[in-house]
Amino acid sequence: MELTHRRLNRVDLIEVIGRVDAASAPQLKQLIESIFADGRYRIVLDLSKLEYISSPGLRVLIEARKKARDWKITDLEGGDVRIANLPPRIKEVFDLTGFSSLFEIYGDTVEAVGSF
Amino acid sequence: MESITLTADLDALAKTSAFITAAAERCGLDERATWQVQLAVDEAVTNVIQHAYDPDQPGDFTLSWQCHDQRFIVTVRDHGRQFDPSTVPVPDITSPLEERQVGGLGIYLITRLMDEVHFEFSPQGGNLLTMVKYLPSDQAEEANEVVVIPINDRIDALTAPRLSKTVNEQISQGARQIVLDFSNVPFLSSSGLRALLLIRKELMTLGGELRLAALQPQVHEVFTITGFTQVFNIHPSVTEARAAFSQRR
Repeated sequence: MELTHRRLNRVDLIEVIGRVDAASAPQLKQLIESIFADGRYRIVLDLSKLEYISSPGLRVLIEARKKARDWKITDLEGGDVRIANLPPRIKEVFDLTGFSSLFEIYGDTVEAVGSF
Repeated sequence: MESITLTADLDALAKTSAFITAAAERCGLDERATWQVQLAVDEAVTNVIQHAYDPDQPGDFTLSWQCHDQRFIVTVRDHGRQFDPSTVPVPDITSPLEERQVGGLGIYLITRLMDEVHFEFSPQGGNLLTMVKYLPSDQAEEANEVVVIPINDRIDALTAPRLSKTVNEQISQGARQIVLDFSNVPFLSSSGLRALLLIRKELMTLGGELRLAALQPQVHEVFTITGFTQVFNIHPSVTEARAAFSQRR
């Protein structure tokens, strides 16, 4: 698994490339935690090159979203983890586990970043 | 049945993935079914890695597979602490984010991705997880047909690869009962014999069978000299080879 990270004006954009499993999920978690530690809670995950995700990876995603949303700038504006570009196999895992309704999922990265 | 035994640590994941993907493809699963099996096995192995043993002293687990009767059967056996699936919470996949629990996703995915899932524990055998993926029924028809492949050449080091390729193509299209028609084969060398052995082994691993028919005397002699008449099913004609397949039913 490879991760790329771009710090945009309001949002941090992470590209997740390859496979997220029990071995690599901690690395993704660490990157997200480091972004939170910098006081930034708006993250877009670009999953266009994600080939595979298993339950440890799903766990990282849901815990990240919960934590991000707990942080509020104002009552109207808070943190979030949103998803851009869900490949078909990954969508299948999301559908099976109910994750498709747990996240805001966008068709492209620009839309996802712009949604914040 | 083929198996690998690995230490239950995170390094095992890549190896089990490669192992089971290759196995699923050999058995004839399509791309989607192969991916489903791969994910289910990943979840099963992840559970063993995370829960079966003490993290400082990981034990082994054995991953095995069989392919027959239109079923791809995978087992994961470990000798760690007893796993009781009834203690794993079933995730409520409709609950909203705030109430959503993170536990139980792995097992849940296994049960959704595979057609049959069984857990067994015994003090001697340890934990045994059995997962089955059904192959589609149109492949059952392929498997029940006898495929006759005429070989119109000598079989030696030069031509053996082409023979293997032809037969493997039939196997990947679902053929499991194969007759090789030797009536036009004037010569067979040890390379040819080796290729035939590998083809036979592959077919048997997938629950199929190979029969050789209409060998010319000098070719039959190669089998006799090497003792391989005991190993191969050899028939005087294609008709008799076909009949032998029906008699097994």
